[in-house]
Amino acid sequence: MQPAERRLSLLVTVLAFALPVLFVLVPLAIFLGYSFFSVDQGTIVYGLSLGNYVRFFTDPIFLPVFWNTIVLCISVAIICILLAYPAAYFLTTLEGRWRYALLMLLLVPLLMSYVIKIYAIRSILGLNGFLNKALVAVGILQQPSTLFVFNMNAILLTLTLLLIPFAILPIFLSLERIPQVLLRASDDLGASGLQTFLRITLPLSLPGVASAASFVFVLAIGDFLTPQMVGGISGFTFGRILYSQFGTAYNWPFGAALSVALAVVVIAAILIGERFGRNRGTSI
Amino acid sequence: MSALPRLSTVLLAAITTLVAVLLYSPLFVPIVSSFFTISHGDVDWSSPTLSTYVALAENHDILAALRTTLIVGVCTVILSVVSGTLLALYYHGRRSGRSVLQFIIFLPFLMPPIISGLALLIFFREIHLERSLLTVIIGHTVFVLAIVYRTVLTRLQSMSRTLVEASYDLGATGWQTFWRIILPNLSSAMVGGAILAFALSFDETMITILVTGTQSTLPVRLWAMMRLGFSPDINALVALILMFTVLLCVLAARFLIPRQVATERT
Repeated sequence: MQPAERRLSLLVTVLAFALPVLFVLVPLAIFLGYSFFSVDQGTIVYGLSLGNYVRFFTDPIFLPVFWNTIVLCISVAIICILLAYPAAYFLTTLEGRWRYALLMLLLVPLLMSYVIKIYAIRSILGLNGFLNKALVAVGILQQPSTLFVFNMNAILLTLTLLLIPFAILPIFLSLERIPQVLLRASDDLGASGLQTFLRITLPLSLPGVASAASFVFVLAIGDFLTPQMVGGISGFTFGRILYSQFGTAYNWPFGAALSVALAVVVIAAILIGERFGRNRGTSI
Repeated sequence: MSALPRLSTVLLAAITTLVAVLLYSPLFVPIVSSFFTISHGDVDWSSPTLSTYVALAENHDILAALRTTLIVGVCTVILSVVSGTLLALYYHGRRSGRSVLQFIIFLPFLMPPIISGLALLIFFREIHLERSLLTVIIGHTVFVLAIVYRTVLTRLQSMSRTLVEASYDLGATGWQTFWRIILPNLSSAMVGGAILAFALSFDETMITILVTGTQSTLPVRLWAMMRLGFSPDINALVALILMFTVLLCVLAARFLIPRQVATERT
């Protein structure tokens, strides 16, 4: 190597390590460090203590909200999968070109501005919104209801609508990977369509379902924008409490500790999704 | 799956239609209202108008935010494509330390944006870097880096080793091989990664809210406006943005589909 090249390769080596460490690892490490600090009369005290974590686990406010948010996001994941699975299954029954055209059609809404979608969904769910009009027209409701605005229901429905595409894709991919010979063999051996589905297709597509659940859960629990915009006063999620520590409550160290709790749940969800999302035995 | 009974096919098609309606309804609302007036949930179909588009052209506030978004997007693309490509080239074929650093690169993409954003917010405060467009660009670059890195690395791994060997056999230097062989082969992956990076940066909201100074990007501006409700010209903007992003998506698909597949089709 010539000297110029050697200098360049040294520079590249330094950059390759320095960039991720400086801009990702260091901020996260400082953030983690902050969770052990405390606040005294509006200034941050740089002394280590476990006070924030003790407060998180003992204060009667935080754990219930944390738990409710986890339940909410699990519900979102379940509803998304219940809607996405049949849709993904239907796609795999289509032939060639149609299959991918329809898949694209179901994924395109992801490209639309997130904030705008939240706003549009809020107007659909609102008192004068389309949902209420439809329910009244069908006769399910006597008069427009505020059941779907500024509460937990609104958050649940909005997150579901926003995140369905993230459930469709992994389920579709795992369904598509199932070898057709297995289905034909099952058919030849006299199984009914339902039996084939329950004994072959469903078990082999579960890894995709696990990935989908993990995706949707992680995206839902990390979202602050949706609950803030459609949750009102009663729809209080963990993300909103976390954010308020950096705004009105002004307690950055406690907010950092709450973020650590959130990160632990997110990492657990990713690991579970990873563990069960691996495809086993689909190759023959 | 030809043995599927008729009834279940109909049922599946119905659910798929429902999903499509659910997904498209939030897109439908602003686009329809960009051409028609909506009051109290009723669309007035009788009088289509382009007045919202005219009003948009005069909304300097929004146009300034749009310009900021484009500046941030272009800077993010340049920074992330250069560093993502360098990182991919560096880690390709190198085993030691790769998985750990790869994990670090992916962290901001995997973590909820609120955590990445807050970590950066505290970091900038600790190093006394005033919040500005620069901090937004750093935040976006850190966020999208994983995508560009992954796209370029995938292409590198599928690239035949013999190309590089042939180049050396024919007497080319390392530089010549890089410029004439490796880079041209990576270019379409880099363009595809750049488009994805731009699309992500264009819509990034949470990190931007946390690390921005006085200038706001379009999503942050919209977020702030949403509390008060939108003026009708926002609908026109939304319709335009949707067209633009669909176009970007089609472009990205063109560049990311491997060449053999593309030529087989034509």
